[in-house]
Amino acid sequence: MNRRSLDRAFAVVGRELNTVVRTRAFLALSGGFALVVAVLAWTAGAIGYVPLVLDLLTPVEVLVPALALAFGYRSVLGDEERGELDVIRTYPVSRATFVVGVYLGRAAALLVAVVAPLLAVALLVPAFGGVGTQVIASHGATDSPLVYLRFVALTSLFALVLMAAALAVSTTAGTTRSGLVVAIALGVALVVGFDASIVAGLAGGIVPEGGLDVLLALSPNSAFRGLVLETVVGGIASGAPAASPAASVVGLLGWLVGALAVAVLTVWSGTRR
Amino acid sequence: MTDDTQSGSEREVSEGRNQTQVLEVEGLGHSFGDVDVFSDLSFSLAEGTVTALVGPNGSGKTTLLRAVLGLLDPDEGRVEIERSPDSGRRIGYLPQSPAFRPAFTVEETLQFYADLLEKEVDVSAVLDRVGLSQVPDRRVDALSGGMTRLLGVGQAILGDPGLVVLDEPTGDLDPRMTEYVFDVVADLADDGMGILLATHNLTGAGEADDVLLLDHGDVVMSGSPADFVARTEAEDFRGAFLELTGGEEGAVSIGGADREGEAVGETDADGAADSAAPSAGVQAPGGDDE
Repeated sequence: MNRRSLDRAFAVVGRELNTVVRTRAFLALSGGFALVVAVLAWTAGAIGYVPLVLDLLTPVEVLVPALALAFGYRSVLGDEERGELDVIRTYPVSRATFVVGVYLGRAAALLVAVVAPLLAVALLVPAFGGVGTQVIASHGATDSPLVYLRFVALTSLFALVLMAAALAVSTTAGTTRSGLVVAIALGVALVVGFDASIVAGLAGGIVPEGGLDVLLALSPNSAFRGLVLETVVGGIASGAPAASPAASVVGLLGWLVGALAVAVLTVWSGTRR
Repeated sequence: MTDDTQSGSEREVSEGRNQTQVLEVEGLGHSFGDVDVFSDLSFSLAEGTVTALVGPNGSGKTTLLRAVLGLLDPDEGRVEIERSPDSGRRIGYLPQSPAFRPAFTVEETLQFYADLLEKEVDVSAVLDRVGLSQVPDRRVDALSGGMTRLLGVGQAILGDPGLVVLDEPTGDLDPRMTEYVFDVVADLADDGMGILLATHNLTGAGEADDVLLLDHGDVVMSGSPADFVARTEAEDFRGAFLELTGGEEGAVSIGGADREGEAVGETDADGAADSAAPSAGVQAPGGDDE
Protein backbone atom coordinates (compact mmCIF):
# COMPACT_ATOMS: atom_id res chain seq x y z
CA MET A 1 0.00 0.00 0.00
CA ASN A 2 1.57 3.27 -1.11
CA ARG A 3 1.34 6.65 0.57
CA ARG A 4 -1.62 7.78 -1.46
CA SER A 5 -3.52 4.58 -0.72
CA LEU A 6 -2.96 5.21 2.96
CA ASP A 7 -4.20 8.75 2.54
CA ARG A 8 -7.35 7.42 0.91
CA ALA A 9 -7.90 4.95 3.75
CA PHE A 10 -7.42 7.71 6.34
CA ALA A 11 -9.84 9.92 4.44
CA VAL A 12 -12.49 7.23 4.82
CA VAL A 13 -11.56 6.72 8.47
CA GLY A 14 -11.93 10.42 9.19
CA ARG A 15 -15.24 10.62 7.38
CA GLU A 16 -16.68 7.73 9.35
CA LEU A 17 -15.39 8.90 12.70
CA ASN A 18 -16.73 12.40 12.12
CA THR A 19 -20.03 11.05 10.92
CA VAL A 20 -20.58 9.01 14.06
CA VAL A 21 -19.42 11.53 16.64
CA ARG A 22 -21.55 14.28 15.09
CA THR A 23 -24.77 12.37 15.55
CA ARG A 24 -27.02 12.84 18.55
CA ALA A 25 -27.42 9.06 18.68
CA PHE A 26 -23.73 8.69 19.45
CA LEU A 27 -23.95 11.09 22.37
CA ALA A 28 -27.12 9.48 23.65
CA LEU A 29 -25.96 5.88 23.35
CA SER A 30 -22.44 6.39 24.60
CA GLY A 31 -23.75 8.57 27.41
CA GLY A 32 -26.28 5.90 28.31
CA PHE A 33 -23.58 3.24 28.37
CA ALA A 34 -21.36 5.40 30.56
CA LEU A 35 -24.24 6.03 32.94
CA VAL A 36 -25.06 2.33 33.27
CA VAL A 37 -21.43 1.46 33.91
CA ALA A 38 -21.06 4.23 36.49
CA VAL A 39 -24.24 3.31 38.34
CA LEU A 40 -23.31 -0.37 38.44
CA ALA A 41 -19.83 0.37 39.71
CA TRP A 42 -21.08 2.81 42.30
CA THR A 43 -23.88 0.63 43.64
CA ALA A 44 -21.62 -2.44 43.79
CA GLY A 45 -19.26 -0.54 46.04
CA ALA A 46 -16.15 -0.89 43.89
CA ILE A 47 -14.53 -3.10 46.49
CA GLY A 48 -11.91 -4.38 44.08
CA TYR A 49 -10.98 -4.69 40.42
CA VAL A 50 -12.01 -8.29 39.96
CA PRO A 51 -15.36 -7.75 41.70
CA LEU A 52 -15.83 -4.75 39.44
CA VAL A 53 -15.16 -6.92 36.41
CA LEU A 54 -17.72 -9.44 37.61
CA ASP A 55 -20.26 -6.67 38.10
CA LEU A 56 -19.67 -5.26 34.63
CA LEU A 57 -19.25 -8.46 32.62
CA THR A 58 -22.87 -9.22 31.87
CA PRO A 59 -23.88 -5.60 31.13
CA VAL A 60 -20.90 -5.29 28.81
CA GLU A 61 -21.90 -8.51 27.04
CA VAL A 62 -25.32 -7.05 26.37
CA LEU A 63 -24.60 -3.38 25.77
CA VAL A 64 -21.45 -3.53 23.64
CA PRO A 65 -23.16 -5.55 20.89
CA ALA A 66 -26.04 -3.08 20.99
CA LEU A 67 -23.67 -0.13 20.64
CA ALA A 68 -21.67 -1.77 17.86
CA LEU A 69 -24.72 -2.67 15.84
CA ALA A 70 -26.25 0.77 16.39
CA PHE A 71 -23.08 2.57 15.27
CA GLY A 72 -22.30 0.25 12.40
CA TYR A 73 -25.34 -1.22 10.73
CA ARG A 74 -26.01 1.81 8.52
CA SER A 75 -22.38 2.69 7.82
CA VAL A 76 -22.25 1.47 4.23
CA LEU A 77 -25.99 1.02 3.86
CA GLY A 78 -26.52 4.75 4.26
CA ASP A 79 -24.04 5.48 1.50
CA GLU A 80 -25.76 2.95 -0.72
CA GLU A 81 -29.23 4.38 -0.11
CA ARG A 82 -28.07 7.94 -0.77
CA GLY A 83 -26.29 6.86 -3.94
CA GLU A 84 -22.91 7.87 -2.56
CA LEU A 85 -21.56 4.36 -2.84
CA ASP A 86 -22.03 4.50 -6.62
CA VAL A 87 -20.20 7.82 -6.64
CA ILE A 88 -17.34 6.49 -4.51
CA ARG A 89 -16.89 3.67 -6.98
CA THR A 90 -15.92 6.18 -9.65
CA TYR A 91 -12.86 7.09 -7.58
CA PRO A 92 -9.64 5.08 -7.51
CA VAL A 93 -10.37 3.40 -4.20
CA SER A 94 -10.49 -0.35 -3.77
CA ARG A 95 -13.19 -2.26 -1.96
CA ALA A 96 -10.73 -3.36 0.71
CA THR A 97 -9.45 0.17 1.30
CA PHE A 98 -12.96 1.52 1.58
CA VAL A 99 -14.23 -1.22 3.88
CA VAL A 100 -11.20 -1.10 6.15
CA GLY A 101 -11.47 2.67 6.33
CA VAL A 102 -15.14 2.49 7.26
CA TYR A 103 -14.38 -0.18 9.81
CA LEU A 104 -11.54 1.66 11.48
CA GLY A 105 -13.49 4.91 11.67
CA ARG A 106 -16.57 3.32 13.19
CA ALA A 107 -14.50 1.09 15.47
CA ALA A 108 -12.60 4.10 16.77
CA ALA A 109 -15.85 5.79 17.75
CA LEU A 110 -17.09 2.62 19.40
CA LEU A 111 -13.87 2.17 21.36
CA VAL A 112 -14.09 5.72 22.66
CA ALA A 113 -17.66 5.11 23.79
CA VAL A 114 -16.83 1.80 25.48
CA VAL A 115 -13.33 2.15 26.85
CA ALA A 116 -13.55 5.62 28.34
CA PRO A 117 -16.33 4.78 30.84
CA LEU A 118 -14.67 1.48 31.76
CA LEU A 119 -11.40 3.22 32.54
CA ALA A 120 -13.16 6.00 34.39
CA VAL A 121 -15.01 3.71 36.79
CA ALA A 122 -11.79 1.90 37.57
CA LEU A 123 -10.79 5.03 39.46
CA LEU A 124 -13.56 4.28 41.94
CA VAL A 125 -11.63 1.28 43.29
CA PRO A 126 -8.64 3.12 44.75
CA ALA A 127 -10.81 6.08 45.64
CA PHE A 128 -13.58 4.28 47.49
CA GLY A 129 -12.68 0.59 47.38
CA GLY A 130 -12.61 -1.59 50.48
CA VAL A 131 -9.44 -3.54 49.68
CA GLY A 132 -5.91 -2.53 48.98
CA THR A 133 -4.52 -2.65 45.47
CA GLN A 134 -1.15 -3.55 44.08
CA VAL A 135 0.49 -1.98 41.08
CA ILE A 136 1.79 -5.21 39.63
CA ALA A 137 -0.06 -8.47 39.58
CA SER A 138 2.36 -11.20 40.47
CA HIS A 139 -0.08 -13.97 39.71
CA GLY A 140 -3.61 -14.47 38.69
CA ALA A 141 -5.02 -14.40 42.20
CA THR A 142 -4.01 -10.78 42.73
CA ASP A 143 -6.60 -8.09 42.43
CA SER A 144 -4.79 -5.29 40.62
CA PRO A 145 -5.27 -2.54 38.05
CA LEU A 146 -3.50 -4.71 35.49
CA VAL A 147 -6.14 -7.38 35.84
CA TYR A 148 -8.75 -4.76 35.18
CA LEU A 149 -6.82 -3.41 32.20
CA ARG A 150 -6.82 -6.94 30.82
CA PHE A 151 -10.61 -6.88 31.05
CA VAL A 152 -10.69 -3.54 29.21
CA ALA A 153 -8.40 -4.92 26.51
CA LEU A 154 -10.59 -7.99 26.06
CA THR A 155 -13.65 -5.76 25.94
CA SER A 156 -11.96 -3.74 23.21
CA LEU A 157 -11.31 -6.89 21.20
CA PHE A 158 -14.93 -7.90 21.73
CA ALA A 159 -16.08 -4.49 20.50
CA LEU A 160 -13.85 -4.69 17.42
CA VAL A 161 -15.30 -8.08 16.52
CA LEU A 162 -18.85 -6.84 16.90
CA MET A 163 -18.19 -3.75 14.79
CA ALA A 164 -16.91 -6.03 12.03
CA ALA A 165 -20.13 -8.00 12.29
CA ALA A 166 -22.16 -4.79 12.14
CA LEU A 167 -20.26 -3.71 9.05
CA ALA A 168 -20.98 -7.05 7.40
CA VAL A 169 -24.67 -6.50 8.13
CA SER A 170 -24.41 -3.07 6.55
CA THR A 171 -22.85 -4.31 3.33
CA THR A 172 -25.19 -7.26 2.88
CA ALA A 173 -28.52 -5.65 3.78
CA GLY A 174 -30.52 -4.15 0.95
CA THR A 175 -32.46 -1.54 2.88
CA THR A 176 -32.39 0.21 6.22
CA ARG A 177 -35.38 -1.84 7.34
CA SER A 178 -33.78 -5.16 6.48
CA GLY A 179 -30.49 -3.99 7.96
CA LEU A 180 -32.21 -3.10 11.21
CA VAL A 181 -34.02 -6.43 11.34
CA VAL A 182 -30.82 -8.37 10.71
CA ALA A 183 -28.91 -6.28 13.25
CA ILE A 184 -31.52 -6.86 15.95
CA ALA A 185 -31.69 -10.57 15.13
CA LEU A 186 -27.92 -10.84 15.28
CA GLY A 187 -27.80 -8.99 18.57
CA VAL A 188 -30.42 -11.23 20.15
CA ALA A 189 -28.71 -14.32 18.79
CA LEU A 190 -25.36 -13.24 20.17
CA VAL A 191 -26.63 -12.24 23.59
CA VAL A 192 -29.05 -15.05 24.33
CA GLY A 193 -29.60 -17.25 21.31
CA PHE A 194 -26.31 -19.03 21.12
CA ASP A 195 -26.04 -19.75 24.85
CA ALA A 196 -29.64 -20.92 24.95
CA SER A 197 -28.92 -23.29 22.09
CA ILE A 198 -25.93 -24.74 23.89
CA VAL A 199 -27.92 -25.22 27.10
CA ALA A 200 -30.68 -26.88 25.14
CA GLY A 201 -28.12 -29.04 23.38
CA LEU A 202 -26.55 -30.11 26.63
CA ALA A 203 -29.91 -30.84 28.21
CA GLY A 204 -30.96 -32.88 25.23
CA GLY A 205 -27.69 -34.74 25.03
CA ILE A 206 -26.96 -33.42 21.59
CA VAL A 207 -23.90 -31.45 22.66
CA PRO A 208 -21.17 -33.47 24.35
CA GLU A 209 -19.73 -31.86 27.47
CA GLY A 210 -16.24 -32.58 26.23
CA GLY A 211 -16.57 -30.21 23.32
CA LEU A 212 -18.14 -27.41 25.28
CA ASP A 213 -15.05 -25.21 25.36
CA VAL A 214 -14.81 -25.27 21.59
CA LEU A 215 -18.50 -24.63 21.15
CA LEU A 216 -18.33 -21.64 23.46
CA ALA A 217 -15.59 -20.19 21.30
CA LEU A 218 -17.87 -20.09 18.29
CA SER A 219 -19.93 -17.20 19.60
CA PRO A 220 -18.26 -13.82 20.20
CA ASN A 221 -20.15 -13.35 23.44
CA SER A 222 -19.30 -16.78 24.79
CA ALA A 223 -15.71 -16.46 23.68
CA PHE A 224 -15.38 -13.07 25.32
CA ARG A 225 -16.99 -14.28 28.52
CA GLY A 226 -14.77 -17.32 28.56
CA LEU A 227 -11.66 -15.25 28.07
CA VAL A 228 -12.61 -12.87 30.86
CA LEU A 229 -13.45 -15.67 33.24
CA GLU A 230 -10.26 -17.54 32.45
CA THR A 231 -7.72 -14.75 32.19
CA VAL A 232 -9.16 -12.09 34.48
CA VAL A 233 -11.34 -13.81 37.04
CA GLY A 234 -9.98 -17.32 36.72
CA GLY A 235 -7.16 -16.89 39.21
CA ILE A 236 -9.48 -16.32 42.10
CA ALA A 237 -12.28 -18.50 40.90
CA SER A 238 -12.51 -22.18 41.62
CA GLY A 239 -13.76 -25.08 39.61
CA ALA A 240 -13.10 -26.46 36.18
CA PRO A 241 -12.16 -24.15 33.29
CA ALA A 242 -15.22 -22.71 31.60
CA ALA A 243 -13.63 -22.17 28.23
CA SER A 244 -10.42 -22.62 26.32
CA PRO A 245 -8.61 -19.25 26.08
CA ALA A 246 -6.86 -20.32 22.88
CA ALA A 247 -10.07 -21.48 21.27
CA SER A 248 -11.80 -18.28 22.39
CA VAL A 249 -9.12 -16.08 20.86
CA VAL A 250 -9.27 -18.06 17.63
CA GLY A 251 -13.04 -17.77 17.67
CA LEU A 252 -13.00 -14.02 18.12
CA LEU A 253 -10.34 -13.50 15.45
CA GLY A 254 -12.27 -15.78 13.13
CA TRP A 255 -15.36 -13.62 13.52
CA LEU A 256 -13.30 -10.47 13.00
CA VAL A 257 -11.58 -11.65 9.84
CA GLY A 258 -14.62 -13.45 8.50
CA ALA A 259 -16.95 -10.51 8.97
CA LEU A 260 -14.51 -8.10 7.34
CA ALA A 261 -14.04 -10.51 4.45
CA VAL A 262 -17.79 -10.67 3.96
CA ALA A 263 -17.95 -6.89 4.02
CA VAL A 264 -15.20 -6.52 1.42
CA LEU A 265 -16.74 -9.11 -0.88
CA THR A 266 -20.26 -7.72 -0.68
CA VAL A 267 -19.73 -3.97 -0.49
CA TRP A 268 -20.08 -3.70 -4.26
CA SER A 269 -19.67 -5.68 -7.43
CA GLY A 270 -19.21 -4.79 -11.06
CA THR A 271 -16.36 -3.26 -12.97
CA ARG A 272 -14.63 -0.14 -11.76
CA ARG A 273 -13.89 2.05 -14.71
CA MET B 1 -20.95 11.40 -30.00
CA THR B 2 -19.35 10.91 -33.33
CA ASP B 3 -20.01 9.22 -36.60
CA ASP B 4 -20.03 5.60 -35.48
CA THR B 5 -23.26 5.86 -33.57
CA GLN B 6 -25.54 2.98 -34.36
CA SER B 7 -28.17 0.71 -32.96
CA GLY B 8 -29.54 -2.58 -34.07
CA SER B 9 -32.40 -0.88 -35.85
CA GLU B 10 -31.03 2.31 -37.22
CA ARG B 11 -27.83 4.14 -37.84
CA GLU B 12 -27.44 7.84 -38.08
CA VAL B 13 -24.31 9.62 -39.14
CA SER B 14 -23.46 12.91 -37.55
CA GLU B 15 -20.81 15.31 -38.62
CA GLY B 16 -17.36 13.89 -38.02
CA ARG B 17 -14.90 15.55 -35.71
CA ASN B 18 -11.18 15.19 -35.23
CA GLN B 19 -11.35 14.94 -31.47
CA THR B 20 -10.06 12.31 -29.10
CA GLN B 21 -12.70 9.84 -28.09
CA VAL B 22 -13.22 9.64 -24.35
CA LEU B 23 -15.93 6.99 -24.50
CA GLU B 24 -16.42 4.06 -26.84
CA VAL B 25 -19.48 1.87 -26.45
CA GLU B 26 -19.72 -1.11 -28.75
CA GLY B 27 -22.41 -3.73 -29.09
CA LEU B 28 -23.78 -3.11 -25.62
CA GLY B 29 -26.69 -5.25 -24.58
CA HIS B 30 -28.43 -5.90 -21.31
CA SER B 31 -31.64 -7.44 -20.07
CA PHE B 32 -33.40 -7.85 -16.76
CA GLY B 33 -34.80 -11.33 -16.89
CA ASP B 34 -36.89 -11.59 -20.03
CA VAL B 35 -36.97 -7.85 -20.58
CA ASP B 36 -34.36 -6.51 -22.97
CA VAL B 37 -33.32 -3.07 -21.79
CA PHE B 38 -31.16 -2.45 -24.81
CA SER B 39 -29.24 -4.48 -27.35
CA ASP B 40 -26.41 -3.95 -29.80
CA LEU B 41 -25.95 -0.37 -28.74
CA SER B 42 -22.88 1.45 -30.01
CA PHE B 43 -21.79 5.04 -29.82
CA SER B 44 -18.79 7.15 -28.95
CA LEU B 45 -18.22 10.48 -27.33
CA ALA B 46 -15.41 12.94 -27.98
CA GLU B 47 -13.62 15.20 -25.55
CA GLY B 48 -15.02 18.67 -25.23
CA THR B 49 -18.49 17.67 -26.37
CA VAL B 50 -21.86 17.25 -24.72
CA THR B 51 -24.04 14.32 -25.65
CA ALA B 52 -27.61 14.36 -24.38
CA LEU B 53 -29.39 11.08 -23.81
CA VAL B 54 -33.11 11.66 -24.17
CA GLY B 55 -36.13 9.43 -24.20
CA PRO B 56 -39.16 8.54 -22.18
CA ASN B 57 -39.04 7.00 -18.75
CA GLY B 58 -38.16 3.35 -19.04
CA SER B 59 -36.31 3.79 -22.30
CA GLY B 60 -33.07 2.50 -20.78
CA LYS B 61 -31.22 5.75 -20.13
CA THR B 62 -30.27 5.11 -16.53
CA THR B 63 -29.37 1.49 -17.20
CA LEU B 64 -27.14 2.62 -20.06
CA LEU B 65 -25.48 5.18 -17.82
CA ARG B 66 -24.91 2.56 -15.13
CA ALA B 67 -23.32 0.26 -17.68
CA VAL B 68 -21.06 3.07 -18.86
CA LEU B 69 -20.12 3.80 -15.26
CA GLY B 70 -19.30 0.18 -14.53
CA LEU B 71 -22.00 -0.01 -11.87
CA LEU B 72 -23.70 -2.71 -13.88
CA ASP B 73 -22.06 -5.46 -15.87
CA PRO B 74 -23.79 -5.59 -19.26
CA ASP B 75 -24.70 -8.94 -20.72
CA GLU B 76 -22.75 -8.18 -23.88
CA GLY B 77 -20.61 -5.54 -25.51
CA ARG B 78 -17.82 -3.39 -24.19
CA VAL B 79 -17.26 0.06 -22.78
CA GLU B 80 -13.90 1.79 -23.17
CA ILE B 81 -13.05 4.96 -21.30
CA GLU B 82 -9.95 7.06 -21.68
CA ARG B 83 -7.97 7.06 -18.45
CA SER B 84 -7.35 10.31 -16.71
CA PRO B 85 -3.58 10.38 -16.39
CA ASP B 86 -3.08 12.25 -13.12
CA SER B 87 -5.95 11.85 -10.74
CA GLY B 88 -6.63 8.19 -11.47
CA ARG B 89 -10.27 9.03 -12.08
CA ARG B 90 -11.48 8.32 -15.57
CA ILE B 91 -15.14 9.01 -15.12
CA GLY B 92 -17.12 11.43 -13.00
CA TYR B 93 -20.71 10.79 -11.98
CA LEU B 94 -23.63 12.87 -10.82
CA PRO B 95 -26.49 10.62 -9.68
CA GLN B 96 -30.08 11.52 -10.43
CA SER B 97 -30.68 12.53 -6.83
CA PRO B 98 -27.32 13.45 -5.37
CA ALA B 99 -27.14 13.27 -1.59
CA PHE B 100 -24.34 13.56 0.88
CA ARG B 101 -23.79 13.02 4.57
CA PRO B 102 -25.82 15.82 6.11
CA ALA B 103 -23.59 16.77 9.02
CA PHE B 104 -20.67 17.71 6.79
CA THR B 105 -20.05 21.07 5.23
CA VAL B 106 -19.79 21.68 1.52
CA GLU B 107 -16.02 21.95 1.69
CA GLU B 108 -15.62 18.91 3.93
CA THR B 109 -17.71 16.86 1.55
CA LEU B 110 -15.69 17.80 -1.50
CA GLN B 111 -12.43 17.44 0.44
CA PHE B 112 -13.33 13.87 1.33
CA TYR B 113 -13.84 12.98 -2.30
CA ALA B 114 -10.71 14.89 -3.31
CA ASP B 115 -8.72 12.83 -0.82
CA LEU B 116 -9.75 9.68 -2.67
CA LEU B 117 -7.90 10.80 -5.78
CA GLU B 118 -4.34 9.98 -6.67
CA LYS B 119 -3.28 13.59 -6.78
CA GLU B 120 -4.11 16.59 -4.67
CA VAL B 121 -6.93 18.79 -5.88
CA ASP B 122 -7.69 22.40 -5.00
CA VAL B 123 -11.18 22.04 -3.61
CA SER B 124 -11.78 25.79 -3.39
CA ALA B 125 -11.11 26.06 -7.13
CA VAL B 126 -13.75 23.42 -7.80
CA LEU B 127 -16.22 25.23 -5.56
CA ASP B 128 -15.55 28.37 -7.52
CA ARG B 129 -15.99 26.50 -10.77
CA VAL B 130 -19.52 25.40 -9.90
CA GLY B 131 -20.53 28.58 -8.12
CA LEU B 132 -20.41 27.41 -4.51
CA SER B 133 -17.40 29.40 -3.38
CA GLN B 134 -19.58 31.56 -1.15
CA VAL B 135 -20.88 28.68 0.95
CA PRO B 136 -17.94 26.38 1.76
CA ASP B 137 -18.88 26.19 5.43
CA ARG B 138 -22.56 25.56 4.93
CA ARG B 139 -23.77 22.16 6.08
CA VAL B 140 -25.06 19.88 3.36
CA ASP B 141 -28.45 19.57 5.06
CA ALA B 142 -28.82 23.35 4.83
CA LEU B 143 -28.34 23.44 1.05
CA SER B 144 -31.17 23.99 -1.39
CA GLY B 145 -31.89 21.36 -4.01
CA GLY B 146 -30.07 23.37 -6.65
CA MET B 147 -27.02 23.89 -4.52
CA THR B 148 -26.94 20.20 -3.64
CA ARG B 149 -27.02 19.47 -7.36
CA LEU B 150 -24.14 21.85 -7.92
CA LEU B 151 -22.21 20.21 -5.11
CA GLY B 152 -22.84 16.96 -6.95
CA VAL B 153 -21.50 18.49 -10.14
CA GLY B 154 -18.44 19.69 -8.22
CA GLN B 155 -17.93 16.17 -6.93
CA ALA B 156 -18.37 14.75 -10.43
CA ILE B 157 -15.61 16.88 -11.92
CA LEU B 158 -13.07 16.36 -9.14
CA GLY B 159 -9.84 15.11 -10.61
CA ASP B 160 -10.74 16.34 -14.10
CA PRO B 161 -12.01 13.01 -15.41
CA GLY B 162 -12.11 12.77 -19.17
CA LEU B 163 -15.74 11.73 -19.11
CA VAL B 164 -18.48 13.08 -16.85
CA VAL B 165 -21.83 11.31 -16.63
CA LEU B 166 -24.74 13.40 -15.40
CA ASP B 167 -28.05 11.71 -14.69
CA GLU B 168 -30.85 14.28 -14.82
CA PRO B 169 -28.67 17.19 -13.72
CA THR B 170 -31.59 19.60 -13.76
CA GLY B 171 -34.37 17.43 -12.42
CA ASP B 172 -36.64 19.32 -10.01
CA LEU B 173 -34.68 22.54 -10.40
CA ASP B 174 -36.25 25.91 -11.02
CA PRO B 175 -35.75 27.52 -14.46
CA ARG B 176 -32.98 29.84 -13.38
CA MET B 177 -30.99 27.08 -11.69
CA THR B 178 -31.64 24.81 -14.65
CA GLU B 179 -30.12 27.36 -16.98
CA TYR B 180 -27.20 27.86 -14.62
CA VAL B 181 -26.49 24.13 -14.45
CA PHE B 182 -26.51 23.85 -18.25
CA ASP B 183 -24.13 26.81 -18.40
CA VAL B 184 -21.80 25.01 -16.01
CA VAL B 185 -22.05 21.87 -18.15
CA ALA B 186 -21.18 23.86 -21.27
CA ASP B 187 -18.17 25.36 -19.48
CA LEU B 188 -16.97 21.90 -18.51
CA ALA B 189 -17.14 20.82 -22.15
CA ASP B 190 -15.29 23.96 -23.16
CA ASP B 191 -12.58 22.87 -20.71
CA GLY B 192 -12.24 19.62 -22.62
CA MET B 193 -14.38 17.18 -20.68
CA GLY B 194 -16.68 14.82 -22.49
CA ILE B 195 -20.17 15.08 -21.02
CA LEU B 196 -22.82 12.38 -21.25
CA LEU B 197 -26.05 13.54 -19.70
CA ALA B 198 -29.48 12.01 -19.44
CA THR B 199 -32.19 14.60 -19.37
CA HIS B 200 -35.86 15.27 -19.90
CA ASN B 201 -35.14 18.93 -20.46
CA LEU B 202 -35.45 19.45 -24.21
CA THR B 203 -34.19 23.01 -24.08
CA GLY B 204 -30.96 21.85 -22.51
CA ALA B 205 -30.74 18.82 -24.77
CA GLY B 206 -31.17 21.09 -27.77
CA GLU B 207 -27.99 22.89 -26.79
CA ALA B 208 -25.93 19.72 -26.70
CA ASP B 209 -23.47 18.86 -29.44
CA ASP B 210 -25.13 15.53 -30.01
CA VAL B 211 -28.34 13.87 -28.98
CA LEU B 212 -29.05 10.19 -28.57
CA LEU B 213 -32.78 9.43 -28.60
CA LEU B 214 -33.56 6.16 -26.87
CA ASP B 215 -36.82 4.32 -26.82
CA HIS B 216 -37.28 0.81 -25.51
CA GLY B 217 -33.55 0.31 -25.65
CA ASP B 218 -33.21 1.26 -29.29
CA VAL B 219 -31.54 4.36 -30.62
CA VAL B 220 -34.42 5.95 -32.47
CA MET B 221 -32.12 8.62 -33.80
CA SER B 222 -28.79 10.19 -33.03
CA GLY B 223 -27.01 13.24 -34.27
CA SER B 224 -26.80 16.93 -33.63
CA PRO B 225 -29.93 18.86 -32.66
CA ALA B 226 -29.76 20.39 -36.14
CA ASP B 227 -29.86 16.88 -37.60
CA PHE B 228 -33.03 16.20 -35.66
CA VAL B 229 -34.62 19.38 -36.95
CA ALA B 230 -33.54 18.64 -40.51
CA ARG B 231 -34.78 15.07 -40.31
CA THR B 232 -38.23 16.09 -39.15
CA GLU B 233 -38.47 19.55 -40.66
CA ALA B 234 -39.71 20.82 -37.34
CA GLU B 235 -38.99 24.38 -36.28
CA ASP B 236 -36.79 23.47 -33.36
CA PHE B 237 -35.33 20.51 -31.54
CA ARG B 238 -38.25 20.27 -29.17
CA GLY B 239 -40.64 20.02 -32.08
CA ALA B 240 -38.43 17.43 -33.70
CA PHE B 241 -38.37 15.38 -30.54
CA LEU B 242 -42.14 15.46 -30.26
CA GLU B 243 -42.55 14.53 -33.87
CA LEU B 244 -40.11 11.65 -33.66
CA THR B 245 -41.67 10.29 -30.53
CA GLY B 246 -45.23 10.89 -31.66
CA GLY B 247 -45.77 12.92 -28.51
CA GLU B 248 -48.20 15.65 -27.71
CA GLU B 249 -48.40 18.02 -24.83
CA GLY B 250 -48.82 15.97 -21.68
CA ALA B 251 -48.87 12.59 -23.36
CA VAL B 252 -46.48 10.52 -25.39
CA SER B 253 -47.16 7.69 -27.73
CA ILE B 254 -44.09 5.65 -28.34
CA GLY B 255 -44.04 2.09 -29.49
CA GLY B 256 -47.80 2.08 -29.65
CA ALA B 257 -48.37 2.85 -25.98
CA ASP B 258 -49.72 6.08 -24.59
CA ARG B 259 -47.90 7.30 -21.53
CA GLU B 260 -49.79 9.95 -19.73
CA GLY B 261 -47.58 12.39 -17.92
CA GLU B 262 -44.36 10.57 -18.65
CA ALA B 263 -41.20 11.82 -20.23
CA VAL B 264 -42.41 14.39 -22.66
CA GLY B 265 -45.07 15.59 -20.29
CA GLU B 266 -42.31 16.36 -17.84
CA THR B 267 -40.19 17.71 -20.64
CA ASP B 268 -42.87 20.04 -21.75
CA ALA B 269 -43.17 21.41 -18.29
CA ASP B 270 -39.44 21.98 -18.18
CA GLY B 271 -39.40 23.39 -21.62
CA ALA B 272 -42.20 25.79 -20.96
CA ALA B 273 -40.56 26.89 -17.79
CA ASP B 274 -37.29 27.36 -19.56
CA SER B 275 -38.82 29.53 -22.21
CA ALA B 276 -40.12 31.75 -19.48
CA ALA B 277 -36.83 31.84 -17.66
CA PRO B 278 -34.92 35.10 -17.61
CA SER B 279 -32.19 35.08 -20.19
CA ALA B 280 -29.95 37.24 -18.08
CA GLY B 281 -29.23 37.75 -14.45
CA VAL B 282 -28.70 34.10 -13.63
CA GLN B 283 -27.07 34.38 -10.29
CA ALA B 284 -24.50 31.96 -9.09
CA PRO B 285 -26.06 29.84 -6.36
CA GLY B 286 -25.14 30.74 -2.86
CA GLY B 287 -27.01 33.95 -3.03
CA ASP B 288 -30.75 33.75 -2.91
CA ASP B 289 -31.14 30.33 -4.43
CA GLU B 290 -32.88 29.09 -1.33
